[in-house]
Amino acid sequence: MCFKNLPIEFDAQGVPTLKEGVADPYGVEWRGSEGVPRQLSHTDVEELLKRNGHIRSVDYDPVTRVAGALAFHSVADLEKREVLEARSVATLFRGYEIIMIGRDPRDAIFITSRACGVCGGVHSATAAMATEMAIGCCPPPQGVLVRNLALALEFMYDHPLHLFLLAGPDYSQSIVEATTPSLWEKAKKAEAPSAEIHGYTTVGEMMADLNPLQGKLYLEALQMTRVAREAYVLIAGKYPHPQTMIPGGMSTTLTLSVMNEMYTRLSRFFDYSKKVQAFWDDITTFFYEADPRYKEVGGRRATMIDTGIFDLPDAYDATYANAAEWGDRRWATPGVIVDGELVTTDLHQINMGLEEFVEHSYYEDWAGNGRPPRYPEDEKGMPLSPWHPWNKVTKPRPQGQDWKERYTWDTAPRWDREAMEAGAYSRLWSTAAARKLPENPFIESRGDALGIELPRGTLPKLEMEWKVPDTWNAFERNRGRAYCLGFTTMVAMNNWLRIMDRLKDGDTKVSTDFEIPKDERIGVGFWGAGRGYLTHHLVMDRGAVTNYQILTPSTWNASPTDRWGQPGPYEEAVLNTPILEEFDDPESFQGVDILRAIRSFDPCMPCTTHIQSEAGMITREVNTCACGVD
Amino acid sequence: MTEPRHPPAILAGVGYRNLRDHSLGVKLADELGAKRLPPGVEVQDLSYNPVAVVQWLEAMAPGDRPRRMVFVAAVERGRSPGTVTTYRWDGTLPPEARIQRAVEDAVTGVIFLDNTLIVLGWLSPLSEDAEIVVVEVEPEDEAFGESFSPAVASAYREVVDLAVGLSSGRRSADALPLAPLGGMESGSGPEK
Repeated sequence: MCFKNLPIEFDAQGVPTLKEGVADPYGVEWRGSEGVPRQLSHTDVEELLKRNGHIRSVDYDPVTRVAGALAFHSVADLEKREVLEARSVATLFRGYEIIMIGRDPRDAIFITSRACGVCGGVHSATAAMATEMAIGCCPPPQGVLVRNLALALEFMYDHPLHLFLLAGPDYSQSIVEATTPSLWEKAKKAEAPSAEIHGYTTVGEMMADLNPLQGKLYLEALQMTRVAREAYVLIAGKYPHPQTMIPGGMSTTLTLSVMNEMYTRLSRFFDYSKKVQAFWDDITTFFYEADPRYKEVGGRRATMIDTGIFDLPDAYDATYANAAEWGDRRWATPGVIVDGELVTTDLHQINMGLEEFVEHSYYEDWAGNGRPPRYPEDEKGMPLSPWHPWNKVTKPRPQGQDWKERYTWDTAPRWDREAMEAGAYSRLWSTAAARKLPENPFIESRGDALGIELPRGTLPKLEMEWKVPDTWNAFERNRGRAYCLGFTTMVAMNNWLRIMDRLKDGDTKVSTDFEIPKDERIGVGFWGAGRGYLTHHLVMDRGAVTNYQILTPSTWNASPTDRWGQPGPYEEAVLNTPILEEFDDPESFQGVDILRAIRSFDPCMPCTTHIQSEAGMITREVNTCACGVD
Repeated sequence: MTEPRHPPAILAGVGYRNLRDHSLGVKLADELGAKRLPPGVEVQDLSYNPVAVVQWLEAMAPGDRPRRMVFVAAVERGRSPGTVTTYRWDGTLPPEARIQRAVEDAVTGVIFLDNTLIVLGWLSPLSEDAEIVVVEVEPEDEAFGESFSPAVASAYREVVDLAVGLSSGRRSADALPLAPLGGMESGSGPEK
């Protein structure tokens, strides 16, 4: 029984239905989950700010070193060293849901790719999958494999970028020395346990090479993004917006020459993954040993969601009816984790539990008040909420910012009404816990850990193990993402080997022909971004899109507080963060712990977004200073 | 004896597609890329991650890297719409925090001429004597669409002539001001 809060029960055959006798099954009378920190009311916060000099607004607009437009408002008690209020603000509206209406569904592959300048390919792939489900078209085996490979390569671009260019500098000498001098003194003397893998003798040396612009790790990450990108374009044509994604596979040409070119680049990640994983192990260990309170930075319940990714050709049939089966056989297992426990891997159940709320967002609600949903159930007869993406209508309503009312363009997605986070680490966690990995020589799901065997490069072959952590915080997010680099590399390797096997047999077919039907169809792409969970829910009729809803990892993570007072993941993580920074007076306070908490999620607020207002389309980025607004 | 080989000058457009005036650099690259240009001029659409632009240049043998690059883009600087500003970039880099921001924007997909130049200057793949010339136009309209605003449309032909002339050497860049990013202040110098 995976649902605790939604009134869904399962019969003896596992068929879900709404509980009988519940008058308003998706009613909103509920107190919210226990164990979730609550924000002080903004009125109380204002009073505290007036009366106490040590209570300060700490605002970041924009939050730097994240992709896209994110602002963050917090109020901190610098004497008690705690955060009293935390508000996550997506400062721009993604209009893709509106842009897609009335278009040929195939356009989604190219249009939604523009939602992101880093991971356009994942949107293209997810759009292709939503479309192939709606139209009934299944890719041939090589089409599935080459799509897996392309997207794995995209993650191999994405993870180093975050670990060393965006979040990494938070742990660099330049930041640590400036914000916690005593920690820097310890780091200079602390021996690095994994020196034989990454080559650094002390943690101080490691931190020095994390320095932005000059640090060797910063510069090396830039070079590795090139390697991944070169491999990617061999099959995707172009980065970041691929030209070869289509419903029913890919339109690339597979040859031995292409695959050999691919391998020379892929193999460079064998050693790099070892170094990256060992590096983040040592950084994490150092901070925990230096001050155990670092385990609370960015801490929240281990409550997260992932759609799984990377299909097996003999399992994936592009149907919704069989999604639970093909989802379970993916290279990364779908999953919902609540308080550290895996509660489901079933894509139908994951889909069934989805809702999006807009009480604190710049949108009009579209459900409730007795309005019947367009789709009360899915094609298998499983119940769907009126706030489910297939039932959602995007109704933007720009207005002034008010912490008590509406303050962000993000919505509040919930699963079983819980605030879930999404990330590369969610993928790792559900895969490790589920024990459902296909048989292969490189990756093993062990229930409480994931074993990753990285082949010999310049460094010897190495088996590394990511252990399901007993505490969940900023450091574990970064460590998980580091291990996801090795995991993804070996998923890529598995798929590369399978493609080669089929090529040897002369199989070069990578796509299936299709036609766009004229009747009403629905589909969903369950895929993933480098940053985790990604779904595109599509409704089409007469050959054109009638509803299109994108749910990204940062939609989950940057979520505002919901109608039940449950903060979104960034907000919750910041509320739980102790202030460990060393400062002499409030004026010199920089908020590094708060920033570490936020950046550990790898925020990716979609770029090149457009605001639709009654006056027309506005594309200029507006600085939405979060300071002192009401 | 073989003649020493001269690497071509790169005429580069930078911008977004289908974003009216902000598509100026892309449109110019599309148009000139399909035309026969004077010898020694190569047209490129460099509307992508500036770090990748640098890596593209680094992939060339040092002797094959361009000695002159002419960048064309629409950039908002508060001038009157349609104003054309042309200058030789003096290579002055902003403070480190701004360079860092340019790199972050670069790898996360933001396309902006200043970022391209900053990253190019920071990673310096070109030889010291290489010349970077900038032709900027002040945009008026930033919205979906393929057409320019009237102000930019009226400046477009002049921009094309300037870009081709400067990249081919038919028009000397020596007379242009050597200036930091953005060139001269609006209306205060030789803007053509």
